[in-house]
This record gives sequence, structure tokens and C-alpha cells, in this order.
Amino acid sequence: MKLTGKTALVTGAGTGIGQGIAVELARRGAQVAVHYNRSADGALETKRRIEEAGASCMLVQADVAHKPNIDRMVRETVDRFGTVDILINNAAMQLNYDLFEYDEEQFDRMMAVNLKGYWQCIQAVVPCMKARGQGRIVNISSVHGKRPTDFDPVYAMTKGGIRMLGRESAIELGRYGITVNTVEPGAVDVGKRSSMRSAPPPPANVAKPKSRPRDIRRKFPLGRIGLPGDVAHLVCHIVSDESEFLNGAAIRLDGASMLL
Amino acid sequence: MKLRDKVVMIAEAGSASGMALIDRFAPEGARFILNSEAGTDALVPALEKLHAAGCPAIAAGADLCSPRETAALLDRAERELGTVDVLIHNRRAVRPAMVETCDEERFLSVLNANAKSAFVVTQAVGRQMAAKRSGKIVYIGSIHAEKPTGASFAYSVSQGAIKMLCREAALVLGRHGINVNLIELGPLEGDDVRFRSGISALYEDYRYKVPNAVLGTYADVANLALYLSSAEADFLNGADVRLDGGFLMHYMDHKMKRPQHETTGGAP
Repeated sequence: MKLTGKTALVTGAGTGIGQGIAVELARRGAQVAVHYNRSADGALETKRRIEEAGASCMLVQADVAHKPNIDRMVRETVDRFGTVDILINNAAMQLNYDLFEYDEEQFDRMMAVNLKGYWQCIQAVVPCMKARGQGRIVNISSVHGKRPTDFDPVYAMTKGGIRMLGRESAIELGRYGITVNTVEPGAVDVGKRSSMRSAPPPPANVAKPKSRPRDIRRKFPLGRIGLPGDVAHLVCHIVSDESEFLNGAAIRLDGASMLL
Repeated sequence: MKLRDKVVMIAEAGSASGMALIDRFAPEGARFILNSEAGTDALVPALEKLHAAGCPAIAAGADLCSPRETAALLDRAERELGTVDVLIHNRRAVRPAMVETCDEERFLSVLNANAKSAFVVTQAVGRQMAAKRSGKIVYIGSIHAEKPTGASFAYSVSQGAIKMLCREAALVLGRHGINVNLIELGPLEGDDVRFRSGISALYEDYRYKVPNAVLGTYADVANLALYLSSAEADFLNGADVRLDGGFLMHYMDHKMKRPQHETTGGAP
């Protein structure tokens, strides 16, 4: 599954899943535009690992809640690499407010980044892909596109919207040779997310509860939670030539944890 | 009577579905909060009819995307009728919108009209219902929470979001004795025009893609909404009930139930 000569744009690639995807695409030969918003240090680390793999990399900062930012991001990518063959929509927020805590500003911000941003990134790369008669778009969503979170209703609303954005885009853009698929990861070990509200620290005299192997086994049939590399491998398969007929799919990638 | 003295709030009472809901719920003893974003003028005939029949009812023109206007409406309703027992969210704004060419204003207008208003009103009414530990919330959604339209992607995105709002609210509000369910509705007369698409053939011959060759009506919706709003549905929570006559099950055109004289073409 060589991606030599392909240009990929990965949003939210300064941390976690996006970083894992960007590095794996590079390992397979793609040149990668690494988008970040606030994770500048993380983006530099992504770039270092991509260049270590012998691939070309550029960094581009943008707030995907704003279309002019998105248009600039794609323009800078095209100026440097000539086109965009692969778009990985991954930049998303999670605020972890409950139904009664959300205010209007937070609701609008979540919709702007997680949902409108995904659509407008797709819209911005379509001209490149259409001109070449081919393209691969992968939306990184979540198992919470189907299963409620019980901790962030607006996050789940955005993921439910992404499911339909993926289906609509797949039937609309297929005629240009562009495929659009959705990956729905379950729990992935990404370290602490900067956009996430941090939990209050436990009192000093209380030991942090540890996940025992038995608990992990009860929740995850494979005995572990997901890793960014798991998502990256699936994404690389979807964007490869082997997946030309895969379109409009939503693939749950959770080690079967949602089935328990 | 299934809704004796229950306060029923209809998010878009001026629409065809709103009118059907009023007609079906009134004989069951409901008291009404009728809202229409277009203002109260369109609600006057319904309000007069309800008052003539002895049904307590108020009309309002609140923007349900605004938490402030929504709260003000609920305050007024509480003074005049009581707190909400049943919320029917039936806003279903459709505007043609393609992924490739849609502009931001259009996308947000559809997303907000449908999904944001559903969230804001669920939050506000949910607080009232949680305080009294009972209530029913019904979203009138669409089969396009699952099936893409090829014509109005912003609409189906908003329906996907409402579907997840329903599931979240069913968990959170369920713990307070509240039931939250979704009706996924379609196809209705006129949907072939509403969702006219150069990409999807879904609505070609759509009447005959319903196995029994009949389209849905708002009376069908009102019947199901009444059931979901009543005590009979106390154990139904977080469900998406597809109300489509079997439309989405269709895939073999040669097996369509057509009248004998008709070989091709659309609905008669």
C-alpha cells in the first residue's frame, strides 16, 4: 500500500490520532501537510517524525471554525505540494459539558469546529480532487456517532451529523472519483487532550484508581484500548488504491468494545 | 383521554404537522403552548378553534434557537398554563444544499432551524421536566437521519445530529423519569419536489417504493406522536421509530405495487 507521490492534508495532526495518521501516511510515502490550531509543539513533533521517515512535511496553522482559515490552509498546501489527493478530517473538540451545562456559545463553537469545519474542509479540497478525477476523504468520527456519550451531548450531535455528511458526500462526490468514508474509533489512548475540560484533581490522600487488567478485559475483548496507530493503519488502507470501491462506509474501530 | 390537563408544547405549530398534532391532541384533553417562529398570526385560527372547544392554549412566536426567548416563553406558559409535560419538536427546515456548492449561511440556517432549536428547547424544557420528574419529548425527524438525500445535505446532517440528541437526552433525562424518542418520518406527498436530486433516484416513483403504495400523512405522525406522548409509552425511551410505510426497505423496482394501467411515471 504505497502512497508515494500522494499529498495528504491531515487536520488536527499536532496530537493523538491525527499525529498517528500523519506519520503513518508519511511512512508509506505520502507528503503531508500537518494542520494544527493551538498544538504548535505537537505539530513540530509530528513534522520531526515525518521527516525522520524520509517524507516531506509542511505545517499549517488554522482555526477550522472559520472558512477563510480553511481556504488559506488548502491554498498553502497546494502552493507547496501542488495538490491535495487525500484529506483526513480529524480536528475536533470535546468539551465534556452535560446537557444542562452547555451554553449557546459553546454549542455554536462545537458545531463550527466539529461539523461545519469538516464540511468546509471537504468543500475546499474538492476542486483539486475533481480536477484530477480522484481523491480520498476520510472523516475521523467516533463510536458516538451512534452510541450516546452520557457526558457530552453536543459532541455526539456533531458525530451524528458527520455520519450523514459522509453519506451525502459519498453519493455526491463519487462521480468525480472521490471517495468519502468515515472511521469511528472507540476509546483511543491519546494522552490528555488540550481542548478537554480537565477533571478535578483527586484529594491528596486518595490514590488514583488504576485500571486493572480484568477491568480492561471486561470492556475490551482484545484486552487493550485503541492506539493512534490502529486508526492510522485503517486510514492508510482506505486511502490506498486497494480501496477504490469503498465509499460512504462508516467503519467502527473499537476492538468490539461497543458490542459488550 | 390520554392527555388530560397535560401541557403540550408544539415547537412549530403553524406547520402542517403542527396543525395535525393540534387536531389529534385536543380531544385527548391537552392544554397547548403553540409556537411558530414566523410569529403568532398564522396561529390565530388554531388558537380560536381551541378556545371555542374549551381547550386552554397560548400562542407565541419565540425563536427556539435563542435560550433567552425560549426561557421567556416557558416562564409565560408556566404562569398561564403550567410547566410543560409533553414537548413535540417538529421543525423540519429543508433547503436545497449540495456539499460542493452550499454556502455557510444556508448550511447554518438549516442546521440551526432543526438541530440547534431541538437542543435549546430540550435543555430548557428538560429542566422543567427533571424538576417534576416526568415528561415526554418527541422529535419529529426524518428518514434522512439515515438515508442521504443527494439534494439537501444540510438537512440530513441536522437529522443525524437530532438522532444523537435523542439518544443523549434519553439517557440523561431518562434518569429523571422522562421519555425521549424520535420519529423518522417519510415519504410524504411533495417529498419528490422537496428533495429533487440530480444524483439520487430515491424519490422517482417514490409512492410505489412504499410496499403498499401509499404515502405518509401528518395524521399518521400525529397518531404516533400521541402514543409516544402518552403513558402507554412509558417504557419506550431513546428509540428511533421509522415511520415510512417500509419505504427504506425497498430495493427491487420490478416488484413495485403499481396500478395495472400504469407502467411508468410518478405518482398519479
